Amino acid sequence: MAGPKLLSADWDKPESWTLATYRAGGGYQALPKALKMQPQQIVDEVVKSNLRGRGGAGFPTGMKWNFVRKETSFPKYLCVNADEGEPGTFKDREILLRSPHMLVEGMIIGCFAIDCHRTYVYCRGEFRKTAMARLQTAIDEAREAGFIGKNILGSGFDLEVHTVFGAGAYICGDETGMLESLEGKKGYPRLKPPFPANAGGGLFKQPTAVNNVETLANLPVIVNMGGDAFSRVGLMPKNGGTRLFAVSGHSKKTGVFEAPMGITFKALLDEYCGGMREGSTLKAIIPGGASSAIMTAAEADWPSDYDTLKAKKTMAGSGAVVYFDQSVNMAHALANVMRFFAHESCGQCTPCREGTAWLSRLLDKIVAGKGEKQDVDNVHQIARQMETKTICALADGAAMPAKSFIEKFRADFDALVRG
Amino acid sequence: MVSLSTAQAAPVASPFNPEQQRRFDEGLEKAFAKYPSEYRRAALLAALHLAQDELGWLSEPTMAYVAFRLDVPPVRVREVATFYSMYRKRPVGRHQIGVCNSVSCWAMGSEKVLARCADMLGIRPGETTNDGQFTLEEVTCLAACGYAPAILVDNFTYVENVNQESLERLIRDLRAQPGIEMAPGPLPVDPYAGQAGNTEGH
Repeated sequence: MAGPKLLSADWDKPESWTLATYRAGGGYQALPKALKMQPQQIVDEVVKSNLRGRGGAGFPTGMKWNFVRKETSFPKYLCVNADEGEPGTFKDREILLRSPHMLVEGMIIGCFAIDCHRTYVYCRGEFRKTAMARLQTAIDEAREAGFIGKNILGSGFDLEVHTVFGAGAYICGDETGMLESLEGKKGYPRLKPPFPANAGGGLFKQPTAVNNVETLANLPVIVNMGGDAFSRVGLMPKNGGTRLFAVSGHSKKTGVFEAPMGITFKALLDEYCGGMREGSTLKAIIPGGASSAIMTAAEADWPSDYDTLKAKKTMAGSGAVVYFDQSVNMAHALANVMRFFAHESCGQCTPCREGTAWLSRLLDKIVAGKGEKQDVDNVHQIARQMETKTICALADGAAMPAKSFIEKFRADFDALVRG
Repeated sequence: MVSLSTAQAAPVASPFNPEQQRRFDEGLEKAFAKYPSEYRRAALLAALHLAQDELGWLSEPTMAYVAFRLDVPPVRVREVATFYSMYRKRPVGRHQIGVCNSVSCWAMGSEKVLARCADMLGIRPGETTNDGQFTLEEVTCLAACGYAPAILVDNFTYVENVNQESLERLIRDLRAQPGIEMAPGPLPVDPYAGQAGNTEGH
């Protein structure tokens, strides 16, 4: 049943977050190997590995790095997105708490691969005294051991690592919102192009790779086992490796489970989470965080890879899986989700600012028992009008659940309204 | 970066006592050192965190002082301070209890947790107890969804898998701890009431 543990093998060891534990389990063996490779060779392996960005968009990491490598403007930056905040998602926090050195080793390799000498970890402010304290200790240990700083392991490669904090804004999880925030501004996402990878579009206008924590934690694994072998761990084509599924809701066990990329939601539930809790029957599944389209229990046999779910008009997103049981009325659940998006819309684009607030008001009215059938239809229609009209993906991420909750669970809405 | 040519000539009074000033200055130097010298204004978020760590919230004079130290117009500081929900634009209780209201915590009963907190403290979400001891608020997803319901205490401490018993214990324990002393306030008129950036009202 269970696939290989590429990222979480150390997690149950005592003090799994220390350098000593990480090294005892084979940590920092990929770094010297990588430093002896040509940077382009590393990127080629990442391309072969079919590693897809674990933050939500699923962009091929190797391709992103090739964009940055092609740029001739220096300095180049690598920015680590540790601003985890998509409802349902808590796997990056788990990496920071339980195996921060995997991220540290991965980002050193990533920086070497794209010729970056100064990297920033942008982390949500709430993590400061917990998850990020662990990462900061890991960075200090790595510096002490000669993995960060000047002339790393005699390779001639220099790297400085800086940690910075956000201050509570979901929008800064968008890569350009994050770059704005890193520059000391409010996190308004940027109009693209230029893209962050290109000159003029990244941090301080320099070519920049923005990568998620989990994405980078995979780098030591890819260097150690090779891109082809990593790709084969995934169950579906073009989706390599494993994924840290953050499971919450009404399954018997919740938490972060490492399973092969592309595992079905049914297998994840039955083989990793012990099925649904006592007395619960599966009713609905959020497959990739609050902004992904909802799935029914009958769709639980869908594979969880990026391409399958995109074809099914939802998304793999951040790997945040929420299993709901029969106690949940989906109209109430959508009202909750929409309050979140209305609260977190940054207000820059009118369709999102007005649309999320409007949807939230309508849904609150519906769940208060004051709605009419027409209100449900309006939610669906407003959601459709918000799509593809904004600078970042927040509005689409609010529209996707709004449409799908109604399409797949219309009875839950109709039960609450007149007419 | 936007062009910032309106550097202020006159020094702005510091809101800190000498001990706070020393910590703020030290922290700010470290934050500046993270950026290329021409982009040191990127340290604005860090400067606001440092100021809030010392004073508990960000008053107008505090924001003006941060603007002065970063050589940016005060409006730029206010813009950032009001955009991010962790920055507090008014004094709060010595302990802040933030109950996560996002979907996984909601599915696991966060509404009951919030109601129970309100009951125990005798205040509504968004309010502070009369003795200045507690502020109760709703917060959005804390990234602790598998350990729901979750609470964030005093901005940085996670309390997970909350049930009635652990909640009562938490509040009892917090009553016994001094917590952060807020800088004097409140403002006679709160200019940010109901505006984006406040968690109240959501």
